[in-house]
Amino acid sequence: MPKNIPVIETKRLVLRGPEAEDYPDFKATFTSYRARFMGGPLNAYESWMLYAAEIGHWQIRGYGMWMIHDKDTDETYGMAGGWMPARWPEKELAWVIWPEAAGHGYALEAVDAARRFFYRERGWDGAVSYIDPKNLDSIRLAERLGAKKDNDAPTIDGSDAVYRHPSPAALRGTQLAHGIEMEISHYQDPLFKPKGWAID
Amino acid sequence: MTATLNIPVIETERLILRGPHEADFEPFAAFGASDRAIWVGGPYPRLRSWGGFLATYGHWALRGYGMWMVEHRASGATAGRIGMIFNDGWDEPELGWHIFDGFEGQGLAYEGAKAARAHAARHFGLDGVISYIDPANTRSIALARRLGATHERDGAVAGHPCHIYRHPTAEAA
Repeated sequence: MPKNIPVIETKRLVLRGPEAEDYPDFKATFTSYRARFMGGPLNAYESWMLYAAEIGHWQIRGYGMWMIHDKDTDETYGMAGGWMPARWPEKELAWVIWPEAAGHGYALEAVDAARRFFYRERGWDGAVSYIDPKNLDSIRLAERLGAKKDNDAPTIDGSDAVYRHPSPAALRGTQLAHGIEMEISHYQDPLFKPKGWAID
Repeated sequence: MTATLNIPVIETERLILRGPHEADFEPFAAFGASDRAIWVGGPYPRLRSWGGFLATYGHWALRGYGMWMVEHRASGATAGRIGMIFNDGWDEPELGWHIFDGFEGQGLAYEGAKAARAHAARHFGLDGVISYIDPANTRSIALARRLGATHERDGAVAGHPCHIYRHPTAEAA
C-alpha cells in the first residue's frame, strides 16, 4: 500500500486508504446499476483498473479517495475524498455509497470530514463536485453540504453539473456549518429512535 | 505529502526498470493514443490513459508486484512498460511488455522482459508465468518465442481473444 495515506475518524466512521481486501465491495457496486452515474456499470477489468487508479491517485496527487468503514464493525459503506484526473478543471470532492448503506447519513458524515481535512490540513480554498444532473441523491447531498450549482464553471464534458462547495470561511462558525453539524449529529444519535420492528 | 510505494529497481545493461514517475505520463499517453496500442485494447483517449497510468501504481499496492517503467539509460527517455500484470479477470499473473515508439528493434524488450521475468520468479514467487498475446501481434509473438515461451492454449483477456504463451521456469530458462 502507498504509505502515508492519512486516517480520518468521525463519530461513526473511519476513513482509510483503499486496500486489497476492500476491492470486492467496490467491485460489487461499480459493476452494478448503481454505477450508472459514475461511468458504469463496469466490467470486472474496468472496475479493477479504476480501483487500482484510486490508489495511484494518492501516489501522484498526495490526496485521493478514502474507503469509508464502520468504526465498530469495519465493514465498508462507500468512498469519499478528493479526485483530480489530468486536466480536470478543478479539484473535486467525490463520493459513492454502496446501495445497501444509503440512507444513514454516512456520505454526509464522510464527505464533511474529508472536506474539513482538505480545507484545514491541505490548504484547499474550495472544491467542486461534478454530478450527473439525473443523480438526484448526489445533488441533494451536495446541497446538504452547502454546495450550490455553479452555472458558469467549466464542466468535465458538458454532461455534468458543477456544484461549488462553500469556502473555508463560509464554514467557520456560520449558520451553514452549524446546520451541517446538527444534521450529522442527528444521524449519529437520533432524537426519536424507533423502538422494535415495524410489523407491516 | 506524497504516498510512497516500495517498487524495486532493476538495472540491466541498457535499461533501468523502476516505478512510474509523473513525467512518464506523457510518453505513456502518447503510446496509448497511438496505433501501437491496438495490441493492448487501445488506442485510448487521454483520460483512459491517465486511469491506466494511476493503476500502474495501484497494481503494485494491491498485488505487491506490477509493471515497471522502462528507462533507457543512454537517453534517459521512457522506453516502455514491462512487468507482471494480474488484473481482475486474468487467469493468472502475466508477463507483459509495451515498447514505446522509437525503442523497438534493438532488443530492449527482450532485455527488459528477461530481467523482469527473473526478478518475478526470484522475488515474487511468480515462475513459469504466461503472456497473453493477440494472435496477429507477430512482433510480440516473436519476442515470446525468443524468451523461450511456447503457445500453450487459446484464451481471452478483458474480452479479447488471445493466445496464451507459457514461459519456461527460471531453472529451465
